[in-house]
Amino acid sequence: MDWDETVARVRRAAAFCVDAGLERFRIEEDELTIEVSRRPAPPAEASIEPVADVPALEAPYLNGAAAQPAQPGQVLKAEFVGIVRFSRPAVAEGAEVEAGRELAYVEALGIRNPVRTTAPGKLSAVYVGDGQAVEYGQPLFALEDAS
Amino acid sequence: MFKKILIANRGEIALRVNRAAHEAGAETVAIFSEADRASLHVARADEAYCVGPGPSARSYLNIPNIISAALISGADAVHPGYGFLAENARFAEICADHGLTFIGPAPSVIQQMGDKATAKAIMQEAKVPTTPGTGILVSPTEALAAARKIGYPVMLKATAGGGGKGMRAVNGPDELEHAFATAQAEAEANFKDGRLYLEKLVEKPRHVEVQVLGDTFGNVVHVGERDCSVQKPSHQKLIEEAPAPHLSDKVRRRLHDVARTAAKAVRYTSAGTLEFLVSGDDVYFMEMNTRIQVEHPVTEMLYGVDLVREQIRIAAGLKLSFSQNELIARGHAIECRINAEDANFAPAAGTLTDVALPGGFGVRVDSQIYAGLQIPPYYDSLMAKIVAHGSTREEALTRMECALRETRIAGVNTTVDACLAIVREPLFRVGGVSIDYLPGLVALAAAGS
Repeated sequence: MDWDETVARVRRAAAFCVDAGLERFRIEEDELTIEVSRRPAPPAEASIEPVADVPALEAPYLNGAAAQPAQPGQVLKAEFVGIVRFSRPAVAEGAEVEAGRELAYVEALGIRNPVRTTAPGKLSAVYVGDGQAVEYGQPLFALEDAS
Repeated sequence: MFKKILIANRGEIALRVNRAAHEAGAETVAIFSEADRASLHVARADEAYCVGPGPSARSYLNIPNIISAALISGADAVHPGYGFLAENARFAEICADHGLTFIGPAPSVIQQMGDKATAKAIMQEAKVPTTPGTGILVSPTEALAAARKIGYPVMLKATAGGGGKGMRAVNGPDELEHAFATAQAEAEANFKDGRLYLEKLVEKPRHVEVQVLGDTFGNVVHVGERDCSVQKPSHQKLIEEAPAPHLSDKVRRRLHDVARTAAKAVRYTSAGTLEFLVSGDDVYFMEMNTRIQVEHPVTEMLYGVDLVREQIRIAAGLKLSFSQNELIARGHAIECRINAEDANFAPAAGTLTDVALPGGFGVRVDSQIYAGLQIPPYYDSLMAKIVAHGSTREEALTRMECALRETRIAGVNTTVDACLAIVREPLFRVGGVSIDYLPGLVALAAAGS
């Protein structure tokens, strides 16, 4: 079993779990089972239907009460409500990028608001599609710290 | 009619507008701050967009993100609710610039009524009675002459004033010179502007406001008055009722006529409210609110009309659903505001551990709360509006008393007990209290403890 590949798959599974608003996610293959779970939302959440187009975020994020959990690397989020467009040339998942690299921009009211990396890293997840509508605070990309 | 309406607000009013929009056959788009992700207004809308972090300056007042959310969702209209951007003429203009219908009056009218001096001048021209007053006074001698003409008691006010600074009540000519000097010095010290003017002091006034509706065809109706005299020491309303108790027919008619004339004078479209001070048979215009108001359900219960639906219809270019003659007040309605506040009316935040809201015949509750909800510290403390309707005032009050006793909200302090105490209090029970009533009760309670 390739350890690095397994770690990358776990990371992608975790990102998918957050993106899809799931609390628990499990993949079973011949020799390998990946199960990802996260802290459940407060009980109040149970009565609330998930809203279309709004990804459920980590529990501490709810109600703005707690700080973000420590993340290895960086998660780039939308600062504006608008349409996200990938910058060209597009960075492939798994590629290493330098600090300050523009990965995309959020187009809002005719203005391009660039989304840049804050530190060098390896692009580990892309949470949105090119041309997708995004809201404030929506995770767009995740980067692992450069090795 | 609109296909999709973005609701630029939160809390109970966002839910209220969401219902009216759905009834009108429109889809809805909610906006929310990161602190409101678990709010009911987000869950009940057809779509929702986070527009910023908790503090309203960066979310519910974030015009670019709100407009962007309207555009990417394909909304064709924006309802601002009350507060936030509801009386921001610039926002109304920006909506229009982006092809979005602002559900409210014309930006120019919002602008005119938002400037107190302009509003007063327009109302005077329309023969609406305003508080008698003067321009800037250059000396105590000039003030003496003006006060003699207006009649004591009078109030000296700093033109740059605010928060009660540079204000002095004057009961007679012997007090004037000293009051002038101290008010001037105080204004100079606080605002670096010692200019004073003088207004008649309306003693123990009642706050009575008149609901108006105007459409784009020039039809204007009044939907009766509301008495909002039960105000906290901070001048925020706590209990409102309609009709205003013990108002003479002459004064009531005058208020209605004056409000309708004023709304016609500014070619008002949408729902609006003219606020008056009433003292005996005297009526003085205070200001016009160019939005739907918190206490609008009192009028809806009394007249059996949906004011928010009318706002939406008017903005869509439709005629008013009724004429003046078809508007008939039936019985009496009263509203209590249930706020997250302690015994001194200071805002409280926290998590609600238990919520049970009242109901039953003649009771309406507009609320966004549920057990488990966190009340964020950033916004207005309003949690629920309980409205009781009865065939008489006595019946409405009794119904309200029962409704308040049914209400159970745990986890934060609320105004339920304060409202219950007022609804049972003999003077309020008689009716027709002035705006000094609740501050008086609060002072009395403070002295007694």
